[in-house]
Amino acid sequence: MLTQFVQQLANGVVLGAMYALIALGYTMVYGIIQLINFAHGEIFMIGAFGAFTVYRYILPDGTSLWIALPLMLLGGMIAAVAVAVAMERFAYRPLRNAPRLAPLITAIGVSIALQEAVRLYYPDARSKLAFPQLITGSPIPIGFGASVDRASVVVVLVSVICMVALTLFVRRSRMGRAMQATAQDPDTARLMGINIDRVIVMSFLLGAALAAVAGMAQGLYLGQIDFRMGFIAGLKAFTAAVLGGIGNIQGAVVGGFALGIVEVMAVQYIPGQFGGGAWKDVWAFALLILVLVFRPQGLLGERVADRA
Amino acid sequence: MSGSGVTTARRRLIERARGRVPATTARAAALLGAVLSLASTFLAWSYGSAFPGNLTIYGYPGGAQVYVLVLALVAIVLLLLEVSPLRRVLAPGGAGGAVRVLASGVFLVTAFTVLAIGVELGGLINVEWGGWAALLAAAVFVVAGRLLPDDRPAVWSYRLPDWVEFLIIALVLGLALAAFVEALAIPEWEIFLCFLVALGGALTAAWRLGLVSWISEVGTRHRGVTVTAAFLVAAAFPFTQGSDNHWLNVMVNVGIFATTAIGLNIVVGLAGLLDLGYVAFLGVGAYVGALLSGAAASTIGWNPPFAVTVVIGAVITAIVGVLIGTPTLRVRGDYLAIVTLGFGEIFRITVNNLDGSTGPQVTNGPNGIPGIPDLKFLGIDFGQSHTVFGMNLGYFANYFFLELVLMAFVILVFSRMNNSRLGRAWLAIREDEVAAQAAGINTFRLKLLAFALGATLAGMAGTIQAHAISSITPDSYQFLNSAFLVAAVVLGGMGTVTGALLGSVVLLLLPEKFRFFQDNKLLIFGVTLVLVMRFRPEGVIANKRRKAEFHEEEISEELGREARAEGAR
Amino acid sequence: MTATVGDTPHKPVLRVSGVTMRFGGLTAVDGVDFTVGEQEIVGLIGPNGAGKTTFFNCLTGMYVPTAGQVIYRGTPLSGRPDLVTKAGVARTFQNIRLFPNMTVVENVKVGRHCRTTVGALSALVRGPKYRREERETEAQARELLDFVGLADAADDLARNLPYGDQRRLEIARALASDPGLLLLDEPTAGMNPLETAQTKDLVFKIRDRGLAVVVIEHDMRFIFTLCDRVAVLVQGRKLIEGSPAQVQHDERVIAAYIGTPAGSEQQA
Repeated sequence: MLTQFVQQLANGVVLGAMYALIALGYTMVYGIIQLINFAHGEIFMIGAFGAFTVYRYILPDGTSLWIALPLMLLGGMIAAVAVAVAMERFAYRPLRNAPRLAPLITAIGVSIALQEAVRLYYPDARSKLAFPQLITGSPIPIGFGASVDRASVVVVLVSVICMVALTLFVRRSRMGRAMQATAQDPDTARLMGINIDRVIVMSFLLGAALAAVAGMAQGLYLGQIDFRMGFIAGLKAFTAAVLGGIGNIQGAVVGGFALGIVEVMAVQYIPGQFGGGAWKDVWAFALLILVLVFRPQGLLGERVADRA
Repeated sequence: MSGSGVTTARRRLIERARGRVPATTARAAALLGAVLSLASTFLAWSYGSAFPGNLTIYGYPGGAQVYVLVLALVAIVLLLLEVSPLRRVLAPGGAGGAVRVLASGVFLVTAFTVLAIGVELGGLINVEWGGWAALLAAAVFVVAGRLLPDDRPAVWSYRLPDWVEFLIIALVLGLALAAFVEALAIPEWEIFLCFLVALGGALTAAWRLGLVSWISEVGTRHRGVTVTAAFLVAAAFPFTQGSDNHWLNVMVNVGIFATTAIGLNIVVGLAGLLDLGYVAFLGVGAYVGALLSGAAASTIGWNPPFAVTVVIGAVITAIVGVLIGTPTLRVRGDYLAIVTLGFGEIFRITVNNLDGSTGPQVTNGPNGIPGIPDLKFLGIDFGQSHTVFGMNLGYFANYFFLELVLMAFVILVFSRMNNSRLGRAWLAIREDEVAAQAAGINTFRLKLLAFALGATLAGMAGTIQAHAISSITPDSYQFLNSAFLVAAVVLGGMGTVTGALLGSVVLLLLPEKFRFFQDNKLLIFGVTLVLVMRFRPEGVIANKRRKAEFHEEEISEELGREARAEGAR
Repeated sequence: MTATVGDTPHKPVLRVSGVTMRFGGLTAVDGVDFTVGEQEIVGLIGPNGAGKTTFFNCLTGMYVPTAGQVIYRGTPLSGRPDLVTKAGVARTFQNIRLFPNMTVVENVKVGRHCRTTVGALSALVRGPKYRREERETEAQARELLDFVGLADAADDLARNLPYGDQRRLEIARALASDPGLLLLDEPTAGMNPLETAQTKDLVFKIRDRGLAVVVIEHDMRFIFTLCDRVAVLVQGRKLIEGSPAQVQHDERVIAAYIGTPAGSEQQA
């Protein structure tokens, strides 16, 4: 019993780490320009394909794990960041003053176009691609009879490092403070000499880099990638961001882990026909609805006073 | 930045040239170009007969040549008109602009055809001298057209006797049907593309002349007549197809899609709620229709009369709409989009899972419900072809007529709601939700009404859809289809019935015609969405107010920036 | 506060007792009592940041007060703006909030919404009730536009109106809900002297229609010549309440606005 619980908890943490990484991208962009970047899930997918490309076309066979992993990660990040920055520049920036419907619809268009571009033009991407299982070795016991495989450990470690780095960046660096200022009040920030465009690009860039980490993590964890992987992952990550309080960086992390754990536990412990993997997405979305109804500001969000 | 610089430079060049060339000379040159273009259609353009339309024959225009001929002929008439005494009446602003557009149309069609002959038959060597001559003539025509004097904006404000105006409405709608049927009948995509270009050119030319706005004015003056005539013309469509079911089948699907899109337009266009899971309501209706159809695969044995099924479908979707709307409509507007998307996915997953192993057996899961029998409604067997007015119509005509009735109902709901206190309240909510609530509007209740009403209409369409497509699976109701519906509304024009109709027809028929691009369909779709939002966010047929909303923000944002800058000073 | 004959000459329309509004640690409005009598014009003044608009928002249901009660003609008002309007308390906004892309007359018709009842079904079949109601709404909207002097602009888009007319349109929209009490949030902000004088006449006319009016305003001359009674809010508390003459000469008020002789932190 306890073994099972601890095992599921560990699985939930791994899943949650990936949700959290993607959710950070949603939350940063939303915090700064109040845009739900619906195409962010696709950035995650592009990140995974970028990493895969490095492995498939650039690395010679038998490259050491310690060289291959960082290079793949770098490739994924470059691909994801390039696409995200281009997307911001050409699709979203012209719409910054448009009614909210416009960027949302643009985001749907971008999302579909990116999926299709990968499906049509990436070699063999019409079906699932096997992602290299680079991290091998026996699972690591974590007590109570439960254990996690090594890839998962790497995923969680890298995620945590990224989150800490991001927090430090936002808190300490000049750009980070500019981001915080812009999120609070873009007009005043502009008057204080902050280049809003750069701040926005930076939020897309950071979000994309983290999404690329998540994309590669999912490849390593599940052993496969495909052009559709961004859709559901993006929705879940948005759920995580709302769960934690959208616009709030710590919230996205908390929301990500919470969602990962809830999902895994729901699959494990809901009895009868409604348990099991088939319903897991339903439970995740149900959680989103519950949060929106009972705590729309999210777990860590504060209720913002209406400026009437 | 640089693009607009080039445009200005080009514009300046044209202006300067225009200053040097007297209007008469320009007109004569344009006339020459038009006549030559017209003459060139009687030549052979291609050595190979394999090119669509067979352009190897002298003295008999074929394929895309016909469009060149028609456009050139119209241009000639207009040019002659400009120097005739009738000019004041028919082209009060001058015809220069219209001729210019026609010239561009002629050139585009000719150049495309010559190029396509080269590509498809293996090299430009296959273009006969006639083709090159045609291209040259078209080039002369275009250049001369550019030199024509600018015309003033034309205003037609004629008020003719009512019966004449009725005739004009009937004529225009009849022509529209004829053009539509003609377009459907074109088998080759090359010619179809030329047809679209020619049609676009002709319409733009008519708009330049002031004809389009006058006709729409006439249409609004006799709104009842126009709407009735439009439905009569739509109802005449099956008679153009005879017993051939192919396009009727497609048009039934277009009709269901369009009806659903108009329903969605109540939610999106009128109430301003972006619903990205709307197709789920169509799905609920379709599953109700399928389960109560008496199909062998249905898990419910009861097979009530269709009228009862429609009512049950409507009631169930209304309930689902209220259940989904109640928690979600309280949240901020842009969350709504994602939450409805989530609900759409929940529907699909649920239907997939209710197959007896991962849930109770209700829907057969991924296998869906096949073999839904044809409708038997009002004593008519929808699976049989019937003879109407002495004409034997394919059996899809039955569904087409039924669908048309439902669409009429949905349009009625749309416009009546829009023109009532409810429509005003929706508009007010869209404009300023805080002020609307302070003015005494229960914003939540009105949003819920729009949401549930939209759901109900989609549910009704779904019950018909189940029978018309005879087999339904959960995948027919995935997110992509919701995106298509939203796109139909957005591309056509938010808040207008014609916009949603046009959007549906374009989104569903173009891929049928350009099967060539089938694989790229979604990619093109996605890119189009982005481009439309960038360049014409109000859609093709814009609701006047929507247009103001989309452009006001730019204006007010600029004003705001100025004010802010001043305040800072 | 009890409504003694002395300070409210008429039967009270609105009775506010102990309304307090806290945001986190900040107390924006602190235990304010306030009464408005039938057909009375009451001014609410105070330095910037005194909590006037917050107080307004508590009255109109935009905020739910942390403590205290708002009673309109004997019924407590609940914390939802539409219900407050329906109960009979209408308002305008400090920064005008019209429906810019609707016509002037449509704006006023929206104000009639809570006094009309036609539902979806009736609108669909256009029954006799729908027609009667639409006719009445149209007539009432036109009458109100005539009343505020905008009859000629009825079919213009609201955003094309000049500034002063937009303020008047907002008042017409508020009047359309047949309120017994009208709350005006800085109705003359940004107006020239002529427009201010016209607004004053309009407020008197509104009172003559049988309404009570509460006005937030910075323009002292406007307030003191308009109101029957004036209340002063300073730092969320009611400092003093009385006739314009009393308030005008009260030292505490002068101190609150100009600063105490000792030189202090409170400024206008």
